[in-house]
Amino acid sequence: FGNFAKRVSRSSIMLWRQFLGSLQVANVISSRSSVSFRSQKMSFVSIRSRPSSLRFKICCSATGEAQAKKETVDKVCMIVKKQLAVPDGTPVTAESKFSELGADSLDTVEIVMGLEEEFNITVDETSAQDIATVQDAADLIEKLVTEKTA
Amino acid sequence: AAAADFTLLDSPLPARRRRPQPLPDAPLPRICTAGELPALREVHVWYLCPDELNNQSQLNMYEELLSPSEREYADSMKATMLRKDVVLSRALLRTTLSRYTGCKIDPRSFEFKKNKFGKPEVLWPLDDSTAEQPLHFNISHTTSLIACGIAINAHIGIDVEEKKRNTTKNILSLARRYFTPSEVDSLAEISDSDAQRKEFLKLWTLKEAYVKALGMGFSGAPFSTFSIMLETSKGIRISKTSNASRPGYDHLSENWLFTLAELNSSHYMSVCIEDSSRSQGPEDSPAPVGLKVWKTVPFVEDTLVSGTEAVKLIA
Repeated sequence: FGNFAKRVSRSSIMLWRQFLGSLQVANVISSRSSVSFRSQKMSFVSIRSRPSSLRFKICCSATGEAQAKKETVDKVCMIVKKQLAVPDGTPVTAESKFSELGADSLDTVEIVMGLEEEFNITVDETSAQDIATVQDAADLIEKLVTEKTA
Repeated sequence: AAAADFTLLDSPLPARRRRPQPLPDAPLPRICTAGELPALREVHVWYLCPDELNNQSQLNMYEELLSPSEREYADSMKATMLRKDVVLSRALLRTTLSRYTGCKIDPRSFEFKKNKFGKPEVLWPLDDSTAEQPLHFNISHTTSLIACGIAINAHIGIDVEEKKRNTTKNILSLARRYFTPSEVDSLAEISDSDAQRKEFLKLWTLKEAYVKALGMGFSGAPFSTFSIMLETSKGIRISKTSNASRPGYDHLSENWLFTLAELNSSHYMSVCIEDSSRSQGPEDSPAPVGLKVWKTVPFVEDTLVSGTEAVKLIA
């Protein structure tokens, strides 16, 4: 199962890369078992924003692709709440958009830095630009952590 | 400055430009002061202070200027303050643009398109003569101030930041992560922590303004690929760092002009415009960027503040 999980996450990484427009996906998986990508739905929601912030959102739900663990999402929420000094009454969830919480560009880089420190990863500018919600951040973190340990 | 600036764009328009939509019947107050177009190497900035604008009927009037998608975006804001900021930001942009068309184009009529990186630009109606003098704009906001910069025939970027703004991360850590080594060194030399923080903010707004003027997104010109030099004989300059040799990062320092000012003693404002005159030779020192600043309450009152204590040029 560990091998299978590794292959699933590698293929979802390739999916991401394809979207970021950098690599060509030559073959998705080289193994005896097959993982198929049928019924992937990619809704391309482009809400382009000012250069320095994170508003280019890609929604990608492929069957079999795991979303970030709740634990990761919770940690991201905590870092975001702290950075933006979100009042107690305002909920911060996986769906919360940074823009809707009032994050400006300096907040955003501080959040990214906080995430890098917490999870011991490095987020490059291209990936950072794709983050619009807490969920996006959590998914990226898990992807980077997986890549690191793979 | 805030992220809510560009986020509400309509879906891409077909190749042929649409005419402006017919206006609703509600009469618009005709208090529009037409503005003289900025000269070459001149920037006009119009700003407003959200905290001072609490008259609900005025705010309703501003909201009526917004397009359906802008209104939808405003409604998506969870906090009332943020919603108000979106309304004011769009109203400021629309009313400012209208001034520079001699008030011939109603603020509600403006339509926008995105460049290939997502930076918004005005989509001019085909039959309008102002299309021949491309008006460029850029917006920036903090919770206490929203600014709109205008230039002619030159790409423009603007960024404002509150002087008293604190960072949650340590200044030098932030600089080490995002700025260049020479900028880190110059910040490290400042022993007073408050002065160091302020210097960081100045550099931050200048770098932001540059990236916004370039219009290629944060990743198009990562902060670590160029240094801002504040005190050269030619004014504020940028220089590429050695790791910036990748294609696409070929921004020439000479093509961009900067100005840094203190607004109301409370904000730093950086503006960056493309130098479209290209007239300087190696000996020439480029003329400083002309800057005119107005504080506005749209439809009510405009005050020219440049040349007064409210606008102090730093560099």
